[in-house]
Amino acid sequence: MSVLDVRNLSVQYLTENGASEIIKDISFKVEKGEIAGLVGESGSGKSTAMLAVMGLLGDRAVIRADQITVSKEKPVPGKNVAMIFQDSLSCLNPSVKIGRQITETVRARRKCSRKEAEARAEELLDMAGIRNPALRMRQYPFELSGGMRQRVVLAIALACEPDLIIADEPTTALDALVQAQILLLFKRIVRETETSMLLVSHDMGVTAAMCSRVYVMHEGQIVESGAAEDVFYSPSEEYTKRLLNDARGDSLSGYGHESIENAAGGTGDIYGKAPVFRMEHVTKIFDESEGIRDLSLEIRKGEILALVGESGSGKTTAARILTGILKEDGGTLYYRGNELNRDSRMDAFAGRVQMVFQDPYASLNPCLTVREALEEALRAAGTRAVLSPETAEHAGHPESRSAHRNREKGRMEEKIDRMLRLTGLSPEDADRYPGDFSGGQRQRIGIARALIVEPEILVCDEALSSLDATTREQILELIFRIQRKIGFACLFISHDIHVVRRISDRIGVMYGGRIVEKGETKKICSDPWHPYTKQLIEAVPEPDPLRAAKIKAAPLKDSTGDGKGIEQSGCPFAGRCGYALECCGKEIPESYLFEGREVSCFLYSDRHSGRRSSDYKMTSQI
Amino acid sequence: MLRYTWKRILTGIFSLFVLVTVTFFLVRIIPGSPFQRGGVSEQVVETIEQEYGLNEPIMTQYFSYLGNVVQGDLGISYQDPATQVSDIIARAWPVTASIGITALTVSVLLGTGLGILRAVSKRRWLREVISAGGMLAAGIPSFAAAILLLLVFSVKLKWLPASGLLSPVHYILPVTALALYPAAMIARLVGNTLDGELQKDYVLFARAKGLGKGQIIFTHALKNAYLPVLNYIGPASASLLTGSFVIESIFTIPGLGREFVSSITNRDYTLILGLTIFMGTVVIVVNLFTDLLCAWLDPQTRRAYREDRA
Repeated sequence: MSVLDVRNLSVQYLTENGASEIIKDISFKVEKGEIAGLVGESGSGKSTAMLAVMGLLGDRAVIRADQITVSKEKPVPGKNVAMIFQDSLSCLNPSVKIGRQITETVRARRKCSRKEAEARAEELLDMAGIRNPALRMRQYPFELSGGMRQRVVLAIALACEPDLIIADEPTTALDALVQAQILLLFKRIVRETETSMLLVSHDMGVTAAMCSRVYVMHEGQIVESGAAEDVFYSPSEEYTKRLLNDARGDSLSGYGHESIENAAGGTGDIYGKAPVFRMEHVTKIFDESEGIRDLSLEIRKGEILALVGESGSGKTTAARILTGILKEDGGTLYYRGNELNRDSRMDAFAGRVQMVFQDPYASLNPCLTVREALEEALRAAGTRAVLSPETAEHAGHPESRSAHRNREKGRMEEKIDRMLRLTGLSPEDADRYPGDFSGGQRQRIGIARALIVEPEILVCDEALSSLDATTREQILELIFRIQRKIGFACLFISHDIHVVRRISDRIGVMYGGRIVEKGETKKICSDPWHPYTKQLIEAVPEPDPLRAAKIKAAPLKDSTGDGKGIEQSGCPFAGRCGYALECCGKEIPESYLFEGREVSCFLYSDRHSGRRSSDYKMTSQI
Repeated sequence: MLRYTWKRILTGIFSLFVLVTVTFFLVRIIPGSPFQRGGVSEQVVETIEQEYGLNEPIMTQYFSYLGNVVQGDLGISYQDPATQVSDIIARAWPVTASIGITALTVSVLLGTGLGILRAVSKRRWLREVISAGGMLAAGIPSFAAAILLLLVFSVKLKWLPASGLLSPVHYILPVTALALYPAAMIARLVGNTLDGELQKDYVLFARAKGLGKGQIIFTHALKNAYLPVLNYIGPASASLLTGSFVIESIFTIPGLGREFVSSITNRDYTLILGLTIFMGTVVIVVNLFTDLLCAWLDPQTRRAYREDRA
């Protein structure tokens, strides 16, 4: 018997220029106890369809359907159907305690006393894998981590005792390890409670890992449906094939790492070069757990160095120290081999480091046209380097100021046109405002703004994580292509090892404010040495149902929420490590260096493997 | 937060000091003497001024006044030497406060109610009527509204008394006139912020988990929507508590406002200064209280404060 049965659903939005059809005649089913998947790019109408099923669309939407039933009845939110949304922070009320948000749901579902509801809420939190539920109930949403909040949201959904849970991109905002935990939790809950689930996602890997039946949605229509194996192994539609290709990352690889050698004339060339920027034993501690400790890294001209790690691992702190936004507590910074003075750093370094930010909506001023934003960037970088040698020459000349200014203006315009074309926009876009562009286009503007001052180092801080799969693919390719063409050094920060694996030449894996493993991307991804790297790589579900079904969740982080304890003695990862030795809890492992690969783990110390002969070849110990 | 509070208290005291200083010199610029009346000879005036120390150098007067204020002595009224300024305040303030607090309560209740209606009502005409009514109420100056009310309800219809504060019925007109503007402002603020809150994801999620409309508005949305409203209510209540010159004069209510007006016409230096200090203190205290309350209502600041102490 189908739990959810939707037949011929159409949704139209009434606008001033008539009606526009968002969902076109789609039908889908979810059977009892199964997890079905609805997959498609953002904007394909997945969320609209789900809200239509829930009956939560606004007044302007016109819903037509032959049938929408949950267990043969009309869907009633909070009763026979519950929903989980992507952003757990915005869907929990910031000023109401967790406990209250659960108990009110319990009591909306069935009559019971406050006490009983509280007991039930604790039980639900416990089911959702939250330790010490009584404490969590007294906390506010902002006091919980993203993963924990998503568990709370699940507990709330379960409080409705629904026949069906609709989960709309429930793990998109989480990093790989937490995502794996949450996915496994969903699987367990579905099995134990015999609830059905409809999982909406843009991520083919997640869909492959979870769903037994898949619907592929494109522009408001379901273009392909069937058992997961059929859809993933023998897709019949072009669109599905494209999604799968994007997800496997076929478009970059092949033209990926080999081309470095072509571009720079052999890897040796890159690695032989002196680094543009180097950080040695840099420490920056914020209160409690955040920050970085004893971090060393170097970026060379023409390479993409990626920092990967979960939120709070210190990636962003490292980037901010590089850009000069933050000052280190200790350690030394070098630019082209010269030590950077703490105070005059900005002068020596200004304009040579540029940043592309995560949120393309918040990082562009909506009141400035693209041209104004780019001009501003040029002006901010100053007369130095950018507008260049001539500017200095003319300074002493009697040439009239206005003529000079005109010339400069012309040069600026030319530069802007060139940069827009380079980033895949057109010069006509220069006079439009950020509001006229989509997320992906805005990110292109952000990249243009960073590159127009010809920086030596480009820092991309989670620059792709707010984009959907296909757009992400395009931007990823864009950054890669431009970087190979111009050859600037790039520090690419991401929590997504899947993305990093494809774009970077070298990877630094961060955990608890330290780099635990560093080396060539290809080597690290195919043969991880550090236990954490291994966990990270295994946590990413591949778009392959048989392999993805085996995703492992790392052991639960200590959910008291007091971080990874940067100040603690011992390896920060020891608590979560399956290979932890006695010494791991007491001492911090130093970096052991083997042919371009650095790994901070006692498994690679002489202590563990004994004294080694000089021609010893280290292999993965795990 | 404790440090913040101390800082605010200190800046408050400093503001009061500046206020006293400026007022002290300003009132003395008003031409004429407190004791000048028709039929009183120059000589008599001079003698009385000497009596009160008004012939001394102005800086000496200033410092001696300041010294007295610090000791809590606001002096005696020049017009009515038998009464202390503080006694006048003690007599007039309860009157002002009673209409002020009533007006405040009325405007908060009415404003919030109408604001909620404006944000959630499905009836378009109702929303329009509330918006238009709000604009009208906010647009009419209080003296015009007061006179209009007086004309209609006590002169023409003779339903309500025109002056004094003898019984609860006497409160109706002045309270209405006072509450009109703040009620309109609150309704507008509540309407706008609530409208914004209702668009947010947590409201959608609350609907998805099966909560009723009332529960969503009152326990969820309003809680977040009310913070900006409190920021308005603070200063508004300060102004209601210090009395309205216009309303009190029109309805002949023996409150602070009316005392203030008459003290200025009489050039009653000590009374003007005393009332200024008192009103200034009320404004500063109420604003400080509102800011602390707003900070306290935000769970993030509250938690940060607790952790600081721990």
